[in-house]
Order: sequence, then structure tokens, then C-alpha cells
Amino acid sequence: MHSDATEILLRWIVLVPLLGAATNGLLNRRLPRQVSGLLACAAVGLSFALSVVVFLRLTGMPAAERFVSDTLATWISFGNIRIDLAFSMDPLSAVMALIVTGVGFLIHVYSLGYMAHDDGFQRFFTYMNLFIFAMMTLVLGENLVMLFVGWEGVGLCSYLLISFWFSDEANAAAGKKAFVVNRIGDFGFLLGIFLIGATLLPLLGAEQNVLSFRTLQAHAGLLGPAATAICLLLFLGAAGKSAQIPLYIWLPDAMAGPTPVSALIHAATMVTAGVYMVARMNFLYVLSPTAMAVVAAVGVATALFASTIAVTQNDIKKVLAYSTVSQLGYMMLACGVGAFAAGIFHVMTHAFFKALLFLGSGSVIHAMSNEQDMRVMGGLKNKLPVTYWTFLIGTIAIAGVFPLAGFFSKDEILWKAFSSDGGGVLPWALGFFAAGLTAFYMARLVVLTFFDENRASPEVQSHIHESPATMTLPLVVLAILSVIGGWIGWPHFMGGANHFEQWLEPVFAVGHGAAAHGAHEVASAHGAAAAHGAHDTRMEWILAGASLLWGLVGLTLGWFVYLRRTSVADGFRTMGGGFVHRVLLNKYYVDEAYEATVIRPGYRLSRTVLWKGVDAGIIDGLLVNGSALVVAIIGSVLRIFQNGMVRYYAWAFTIGVTVFVLYLSFSG
Amino acid sequence: MEGFLFWFCGSLMVLGGLMTVIQRNAIISAVWLIFAFVCAAGIFALLSAPFLAIMQILVYAGAIMVLFLFVIMMLQGPVLEVERHRLRGWFWPAVALPPAAVILMIIGWLRSNELQPLGDAAGPGFGTVEAVASLLLGRYLLAFELISVVLLVAIIGALAVGKGERKLPWK
Amino acid sequence: MEITLTHYLILAAVLFLIGMVGFVVRRNAIVMLMCVELMLCSTNIVFAAFSRLHGDGGGHVFVLMNFAVAAAEAAIGLALLVEIYRRRRTVNVDDLKALME
Repeated sequence: MHSDATEILLRWIVLVPLLGAATNGLLNRRLPRQVSGLLACAAVGLSFALSVVVFLRLTGMPAAERFVSDTLATWISFGNIRIDLAFSMDPLSAVMALIVTGVGFLIHVYSLGYMAHDDGFQRFFTYMNLFIFAMMTLVLGENLVMLFVGWEGVGLCSYLLISFWFSDEANAAAGKKAFVVNRIGDFGFLLGIFLIGATLLPLLGAEQNVLSFRTLQAHAGLLGPAATAICLLLFLGAAGKSAQIPLYIWLPDAMAGPTPVSALIHAATMVTAGVYMVARMNFLYVLSPTAMAVVAAVGVATALFASTIAVTQNDIKKVLAYSTVSQLGYMMLACGVGAFAAGIFHVMTHAFFKALLFLGSGSVIHAMSNEQDMRVMGGLKNKLPVTYWTFLIGTIAIAGVFPLAGFFSKDEILWKAFSSDGGGVLPWALGFFAAGLTAFYMARLVVLTFFDENRASPEVQSHIHESPATMTLPLVVLAILSVIGGWIGWPHFMGGANHFEQWLEPVFAVGHGAAAHGAHEVASAHGAAAAHGAHDTRMEWILAGASLLWGLVGLTLGWFVYLRRTSVADGFRTMGGGFVHRVLLNKYYVDEAYEATVIRPGYRLSRTVLWKGVDAGIIDGLLVNGSALVVAIIGSVLRIFQNGMVRYYAWAFTIGVTVFVLYLSFSG
Repeated sequence: MEGFLFWFCGSLMVLGGLMTVIQRNAIISAVWLIFAFVCAAGIFALLSAPFLAIMQILVYAGAIMVLFLFVIMMLQGPVLEVERHRLRGWFWPAVALPPAAVILMIIGWLRSNELQPLGDAAGPGFGTVEAVASLLLGRYLLAFELISVVLLVAIIGALAVGKGERKLPWK
Repeated sequence: MEITLTHYLILAAVLFLIGMVGFVVRRNAIVMLMCVELMLCSTNIVFAAFSRLHGDGGGHVFVLMNFAVAAAEAAIGLALLVEIYRRRRTVNVDDLKALME
């Protein structure tokens, strides 16, 4: 349990936001707003700085040894199980840590402006800091249990922040929905953990620290037989947290929370936890081609599914929400075909431009006096210049236009979906089509929001103003990152060295080595370009070109349809008697389906069996009232002996004396 | 001779006791008890305890029972009334249980054991006033003194309880 | 027939039982006290009998103590009864149920 100078920083990366949360939480309104906000931002900023320090230390180490860990204490220890309160950082968690704290810091700064007039200012920053704490625990956790602790923690913070304005029942309901749906996923996650433990413990004997990632990775082979089951269970948890089919339903509702929350939690960080977890456990997933196929299939299906819904939504945040679900699908697709590095790359770029888009939309909403319906927006291009330009950059990035960030990450995913053994033409085609839709609906969003004439009431129009610097500055920073953020992953076929993939290689290469694909994969990993030769590179160029073109087509089409020829949009809306549009607008009626098949029967079951039967009947009736009744009965029986009748007492005496005498005479 | 006297006094005493218990009228109950005590004096006499016999009549029959009679007379009305039955049916058989048990035990004992004769341990001068007095003021002096304390306590107690609302002379 | 110790003891036992039953059965408090006296008397007989058996005068002394105790008890008991009668106008123990649950 030795921790030297830099390692000890790991615990502070996690704990500083906790201290910030505690201070803000305990002092609350006694803390003036400036101090409170500054404190919260400083906490996250410090966390970011420390993450950078440890990151730099990692860069100074040889590639295969990049791992630092900091153990605080032994948390659980019984039998041959030991679970430590420990944090660790390797290349993968370094990337995640930088993203979370970096983007988190920007969003905290943004919130200073956005939440300036809100009553629960201090409470907001308490929860935000608490979230960073939980997310860092998740990301820096040295073992599966620490990850799960962070996992639950971010779920809690998500709930607290979605229902931030809880006086409106709809917001509280949204928070509840998020929490409950996540719980379903967590159930699978827990079962997965238990299965790992159950499979591994008998085989390891006296080995301790079983659930540590290093231990798991070292003994991955032993988990082979149960790998599919474990991976699918873990993926259930990931599907809940990362909003994949069928557990994505909470994310659009989560837009009820303040926009910075949507940006931080439901775009940039928390929802990527599922992707992170799958990437973390890559050594296990590669042992089960079945599980990988499921992950990829669910991912690409989600990507397509969500983007079709996004096309019709009228609420600006809902479009972005479904866009997030769709992009998360891409990340899962990447992991499913074995391109874990590509998936994490997209996590990073997505964090940049999605946070940007959300914060931008927050700026718009702020300007429009809390109006979120795009149908009454418009013409904001000139009134909100900074917002407009940064938003445009974000849109171009997400559409995957070269040379912005989205191009590199999305293109790499599509390439890997096409070329890797777990992929093929179909995943590529579906992903490709969804990418076009992405560009299309984002263009639609931009046009409806910023172009043409403003369609709001005169009163709202008079209040339209650009946001303060505290809100626009993060927008600018994120826009810059959306432009240059992808260059770190400049692919080989275009002449770059793809530093990003190289950086993450130690984490994922081992997994590849143990894969069923065996030596084949090891050889192909490095020698890919050379071994498969020009054939691959040419294909890459073709596909990259196609993606770029398709993205531009989507953008242009969107701009065209919604700006120039709105009749096309109207025509689409009334197509098939309005059926198609209605289905998409109502999100394929999925929520309603769940309501009918799961929720209502569950509610009825709870009501009749659990409430009336168990709670009222057994617990109240039998145990509580029953025990009281028993006491009353005993009491009423004993009361007979206390009837106040002297003669009765006297008789009792005589009986006693007689018994005594008889006893004496017979024992004597 | 002794046998006849024993059976005579004994049976009369038992009769007296029974009548005490059975009589409805409290005064008649008291009188029967006096009768029983007189017979008890007879029993004492048979047991070579003449002093005791006399004391029995003087103290018990003469003082205590007179006290009883005084009280009965004082609480005139309801004392002589017919008593009301209020207990449940199971009471009467239950009451009979202890006596029945004891009687059965006695019978059982009698069957298997020899009767123990009184013997001649009591010499002459046994049970006379001198004999008792010498013990009372000799060996059992402490008991004697203590019993006088008991009587004192009884006097004070009876006075304190019985005074009712009237003030005591020393208050 | 020789009168043995056992005879006296059985006599005493019978008297005691009568007194005991009487105590339980009667409702008049004064009569109950009288039954107590009867029980005490029966114990006196036992003491006297054993005293005769052993030729020890101590038994007689104890009987005298018994007299005194019986007298004291009767005095206080009756005083209490008088007081109760003054307050409740009854000496029927069935009416004295204040300790009932």
C-alpha cells in the first residue's frame, strides 16, 4: 500500500470535489453566491489540474508500465476476498479523468451565469461537485466495486439534478424515471459482478483483491466459460447508464433538469460511463464473440433508432437528447466490433461538441426567456452571435465534417465497423445512414433556431440578449476543442500517427492478445496497414470520403428543406396520412408500450399483492396488530387473576400453601 | 379416661369450628367460636398444659372473642345481613381441592406409618405456671420482651386506625 | 384406645382445614378474621402436643407468644374493619374490590 508523491494525488482528484460538495451543502445559503460558485469551480479546476499532473507523469513512463495506484484502505476483507478503497490511473482512465474534470470545469463556469438567478444556487453546485466526485470514483476506481460505487453515485446525482426543480411534479417524475430505469440496469450489473466473483473465487484460492481490474485482466482466461453471461449482464448495466435500447427511455425525460446538467451528465460524462465500463472490461468481452455481437447490434440499432426520432422533435433539448442516445449507440458499436479505442475517442470528441451544443442551447433558452420549442424560435443568428457561431461549429463537428473532431472519431468507428471481424457491411451501412440523419436533424435544428425570422411573441423578443461572458467563454473553449480535438487521433491512412490509439494501446492490446481470434488479431493489430496492404488504405479513403460527402449532403438537405422549401417538410409530415410523422414524433410509442406492459401490471401487482396483501395484511395486520392482539389476550387472561376479590386471593393462598406442604412432605 | 375426653373435646371442637364457618349470623358464629375455644382449653388440659388451658379461656375466649363481639355489635346493621352470592360455579369445587388433597395425604400417611405415642417425657411439674414462668422469664426472656413490643405496636396501631377523623390526644 | 401424638395432629389439621375453607368461603370480613383465629388455635394445639412429646416447656412459651400475636392481629384487623365500615358502610369483602383491574 505504498503511495509516493504523485500517486497520492489520485485520492485528492476524487476527494477535492467531495469537499467542495460538503462545504456548499452544509453552508448552503450562508455562503454568498460568488463564494459558493467560485468554490465549486475551483474544486473541479483543482481536480483537473491534479489529473493533468498525474497524466504527465504517466506520459513519462514507458508505455507498458503506465499505471499508478493509490490505496486508501482495505474496505472489505473476509475469506479470500479483499476489496480496497483504491484508485488507479492508466491511459484509459487518464483520458476519462481529463474529459470529466476538464469539460466539467467548463460547465461549472457556465453554470455560474446560467444559474445566477436561481434560488437553489448553492444546492446546485453541491450536487454538481458531488457528481464530479462520484464520476471520478467511477473512472479512477481500481476495482469493479469502486467503479460500481461511483456508478451508483452518479445515478444518485443524476436523480438529484434532474429533479432539481422538483416543485414541478413532472421534473420529479423524470428524476424518478431515470433512477428506476438505471436501477434495472444496475441489477444486471450486480449480477455480472457476482457471477465474476462466483466463477473466479473457487479457482483462485488464496488470491486476494479479486475484483481489481489488474487481477481480472490477469486471470481473464479463467472467466472464459462464463464470459458471455457475465458480459451480457454487465452490458445490461451499461445499457441502462448509457441509454441503449431498451433502457434509453430516461434520457429524453432527463431534459427536465437544468441545461448545464444535461450538458455535463447526460451528454459528456455520466452516460459515457457504460462505454467506459465496457472498454475497461475489454479483456473479458473479447472472450465472447456473442456478447460483442450483441453490443454492436444494440449499439447500431440504437444509433439509427434514436436519430429517426430526433428528426421530428420540436423541443431543442429533446433533439439533442436523442442525438446523444444515437451517438452513444455509435460508441457501443465501436466497442462491439472490438474498436475500443475508437469508441473512447468518440467519447472524447462527443463530450466536446455535445457539451458545446447543450450549453449553446442553454444560451438560446436563456435568451428566449426559458422557451424551448423551436417552432417559436428563429432569427437568433444576429442577436446571439457568439452562441450562433459556436453552435454552428458544434453542428459541423457532429455531422462529421473534416477537419473537425467529429469526422475523425465517427469515421474511425464506421471504418472499424466495416472492416473488423466483428463488423461487416450491414453495421456500416446502418451507421452510415444514421450519420446522414444526424447531419440532417442538426441542420434542421440550427435553421429553426437561428435562421429566418423570430416567431416568438413581441415580449419574448424584446428580452433576447447574448449571454454573459461566464456563459460564452466556455462555449468558445469547447468550440476550439471541437475543431482541434480530433487531430490527436489523426488516422494512419491519412498520414497521421493516431496518437490517441497509441496511447490507449496498452489497455486494449492485452485483450486482443487473449482473444479467441488469437494470433491472427495480434499480427493484424500492428501490421494491419502493411499486411493487408494498399487494399485497406484505399477502402478507408473511399469510406472516409463517402462519410464526408454524406455528412455534407445531410447538412445541405436540412438547410435546404427547412429554410428554402419548407413545403418538403410539410409534405413529409403529412405523408401516409401523417402516420410516419406521428410515430416518430411520439418516439415510436415506446414509453406508452412500457407503460402498458410493464408499468401498469407492476403497479397493479404492487397495489394488490404487496401493498394490500403483504404490507397491510401481513405486516400491519399480523405482525403489528397481531402482536398487540396477543398481548391484549394475554392481558385479558391475566386480568382474571387480578379481580380484586379478596376471597379469590385467599383461595390462591390456600392452593399455594397446600402445594407447598404437599411438596415438602413428599420430598422429605 | 383420656381417650374419652379426647374424643369428646375433640369432636365438640370440630363441631364448633364447623358451626362457626357455616353460620350465617355473625354473632352466632362468634359464640360457636367461643365454644370451640373452650373445647380447645380442654384439649390443652389433656396435653398436660393447664396454664395454657386457663390462658386460652382468659385470653382467647375472654378477651379476643369479646372484642369480636364488641365490633359485631358496633357494626350492627349489615353485619347480620344475609350474604350475597356472587362467585362463579367453579369456585366451590375449587375450594374443596386443598382440603381434599390434604385429607388424602393424611389418609395415605396413616396407612403406611405407625402412630407415635406421646410418651413419658413430660415429668411432673410440666406445664404448670411455675414451669412456664421460669422459662418465660429465664430462657425466653428476649422473646417475652419482644412480644410486649408487638403488643405495644398493636395498641398504637389500633388506636391510630380506629380513631377515624377525631384527633388523637397527643396530636 | 391410646391417644397418640398423631391423634392430636390430625385434630389440629382438621381444625386448620376448617378454618382455611371458612376463610375462603365467608364474605363477612369479621367472620373471616374469626376463621383466622381458628387456624391459629389449631397451631397452638400442635405446639402443645409436641411440647408434651419432648417434655420441653418451650412449646408452651411459644403458644403464649401465639396468643399475643393473635390478639394483636385481631385488634388491628378489627380496627381496620371498623374504619372500612365507616367509609364504605359495608364489611362484605365482595364489595371491597378497589384493587380490581
